[in-house]
Amino acid sequence: MLDERKVKLMTKLALYEHTQGKEDFKISEYYRKDYAGMHIFSSIIWVTIGYVCVAALIVLVGFDALMEGMSNSLMLMLLMIFVVGYFGVVVIYAVISSHIYNQKHKEARMRVKKYNHDLTRLLKWYEREKK
Amino acid sequence: MDGVFVIKGKLQEIYAQHSIVFDKGAQFIVALLAFYQINNNVGFMKVAASPVVTLALSVICTFFPVIITVIAATALILVHMYAVSIGIFVVTAVVFLIMYIFYFRLTPKMALIVLLMPVAFVFQIPFAVPLSYALVSTPVSMAAVVCGTIVHFMMEYVKKAAPGITGKGFSGIMAQSSEYLKKVFQNKEMWIIIAAFLIAFLVAYTIRRQSVNHAWKLAAAAGAIINVVVNIIGDIVLGVHTSYTSLAAGSIVAVVAGLVLELMFFAVDYTKSENLQYEDDEYYYYVKAIPKLSVAKPEKMVKRINGRRETEIMDTEAVRNRRYDRDGHGERDGARSSVRKVSEHSKGSSRMR
Repeated sequence: MLDERKVKLMTKLALYEHTQGKEDFKISEYYRKDYAGMHIFSSIIWVTIGYVCVAALIVLVGFDALMEGMSNSLMLMLLMIFVVGYFGVVVIYAVISSHIYNQKHKEARMRVKKYNHDLTRLLKWYEREKK
Repeated sequence: MDGVFVIKGKLQEIYAQHSIVFDKGAQFIVALLAFYQINNNVGFMKVAASPVVTLALSVICTFFPVIITVIAATALILVHMYAVSIGIFVVTAVVFLIMYIFYFRLTPKMALIVLLMPVAFVFQIPFAVPLSYALVSTPVSMAAVVCGTIVHFMMEYVKKAAPGITGKGFSGIMAQSSEYLKKVFQNKEMWIIIAAFLIAFLVAYTIRRQSVNHAWKLAAAAGAIINVVVNIIGDIVLGVHTSYTSLAAGSIVAVVAGLVLELMFFAVDYTKSENLQYEDDEYYYYVKAIPKLSVAKPEKMVKRINGRRETEIMDTEAVRNRRYDRDGHGERDGARSSVRKVSEHSKGSSRMR
């Protein structure tokens, strides 16, 4: 005979497995530090590409004006601004990425724990039925 | 007002029963509108701008997650930009890449706003999007509103300037790209609109989170007023001429959208709100509790006009006796009294025979 509570639990587990579970299982394979570190590293790479793109667009807009008043001191100053700006952006994005991915890992772990708990409950039901 | 809440309840019930149909329907409409407005504004590649392609893309995107619609819209814009000029294509691609790197990589769900903003601009109701997100979301969505507005102005520039874009060779492409960037990012109207959206968003969001009565309505109204005021001040200071009629109409529509959102997501009964104050060892607590508004679903009363009458059940034994009496063998009232008895006994069961 069908046990309504068991059916509900199984549906809940199956729904989780097919939606959030897919990503959560992947995330929970890593330790939190490893997961966040990996994403911070990829963020730094992406931000470097993005920063170069922004700089390229700025140069494109002000290319004529820049060439007119170009001198060694101006070039050095622009280079300094570019480097300082780059490190500033990298630090900001590293902090944001760290917060986002740490939180993501924490939430995923909590969901996986709940899933495991429900799964254990289901297994116990089956064991009781066998007896 | 109760009627509105009853309708809301019914709509929620219908949605709960057929949620997949409604979700996919909404996704199809958003995709169709987005692709249509892209093809209508910057449809320079004739093959990609045909109605068949628009419809086919919308249908395909309906069966995938929303992010696929955003990627398809981005690809469609880039295809049209390529048809105009390689320089404009590269610059647009780089701008999209920057948007992705700095924002959408971290919050991919917000990418939908970039689709909605240009569509809202086409309908002259751009403020409806930031106001709606200020009411139901967090300030994280502000960056997406800015990106959406920039995308709209990029398309608008290309739409107007495409016939005049000429120049061959590397220097020609560089000149086109530089001109394109300057015209888009030095567009005063765009920055006024972005400033108005951001300030109005923050004001609406802050008011919505207050514990004052009718916070959502106040937030929507304040946001709309701020939007109009900042636009007017910006126009006067920077000498830009925008249509105040469409600005006012767009703000009114945004407020109406805000009221609808309040009805759907924040229906509370302010008349029954309670203010509590208590303390523990470390804090004093001032709590305002507002009950959620719920209207009981009216029950249908069915009144039968042609109701079934009770069937008289006859006792065959009594009839036999009566016949026997008529022949002069006993009491005349025997049969009638027994019929009455049986009838009284069978009350409440209409099907007895």
